[in-house]
Amino acid sequence: MSLLKLFLIFTKIGAILLGGGYVILPILMNEFVEKRKLITNEELVDYFALSQSMPGIIAANISMFVGYKLKGKSGALIAMLGVVFVPFISIVFLASVLDKFVTNQYVQAAFWGVGIAVIALIVLTVREMWQKSEKNIFFYVVYILALLTLIVLKLSPIITILLFVILGVLYKRLFAYKEAD
Amino acid sequence: MILLLLAFEFFKIGLFSFGGGYATIPFLYHISTEYAWYSANELTRMIAVASITPGPVGINVATYAGLKTSGLLGSLVATLSEMLPSLILVLIIAKLLKKFSDNFYVKSIISILKPLGCALLSYVALQLLISDVKDLKSALLLLFLLILSWKSKKDPLFYIIISILIGIILRIIF
Repeated sequence: MSLLKLFLIFTKIGAILLGGGYVILPILMNEFVEKRKLITNEELVDYFALSQSMPGIIAANISMFVGYKLKGKSGALIAMLGVVFVPFISIVFLASVLDKFVTNQYVQAAFWGVGIAVIALIVLTVREMWQKSEKNIFFYVVYILALLTLIVLKLSPIITILLFVILGVLYKRLFAYKEAD
Repeated sequence: MILLLLAFEFFKIGLFSFGGGYATIPFLYHISTEYAWYSANELTRMIAVASITPGPVGINVATYAGLKTSGLLGSLVATLSEMLPSLILVLIIAKLLKKFSDNFYVKSIISILKPLGCALLSYVALQLLISDVKDLKSALLLLFLLILSWKSKKDPLFYIIISILIGIILRIIF
């Protein structure tokens, strides 16, 4: 497979991808496992698990793993550029259109609704993350302490993450024998 | 200079956000309070636009935020900077594969990041609730959306379109 072909496939995937991370897996399976037989199902599932356990955007991460598997370093880069290509152009286009109508009273009314919808979507995302996590005392303690830290100390997200990761790893290191996994 | 700062901020987001598109929101919200690049109000608009355009939400918001901050070049810089940490990590991890996810430190860090991600996002929800839900109309719409979605969550597009329609209908009536 040429780099250009790889770019075009990922451009297509980026264009039909609505919703991000969890939607891309079936699309990649169809494209690379079933249609082209370039990757096995197991490999793809491994990449997906890895993509979730590393920082960054899940859909971009898994695209880069697939690109790397097929064409090495340049493959990873090309897959990344491909998957963001159409979203990038549509955002730039949509944003410039929206900015022209921003003072219109109906657009304002729509924006009011959208603002509330986004709050609902964030609440739903928290709920989903909450449900997907394995909950034990450790989970609750970190959640409550982190929320209190943010509200009271108003630390930046990154400082909060660094603080809790350092404390948490220290804790796990010291009490690792208690963890069955 | 602003491009350099933009690159640095979005590189940090790419390096520290875990768990999917909306995980970048706490960082973007923090940026809106730290710099005068965009307001919290504009951020909710960006999130909405990003949710209804194709592509990963996290990348779409980066593109939009970069665009708001310093035009086309800004959107390019923000998007690519956000992806750079992942690209570097993929090149390293692709060779280690299973050894990476079985590593003690990786496992511990992930188990901390899960409740942390929930807390960071809860905090943003709280902040937006305080700043945006000030009248009965807004509170009722939020309640309506939450009740509507509680049993089965649909595509974000669904809630955004419903809210747009309700917003416009209310404007026409009143």
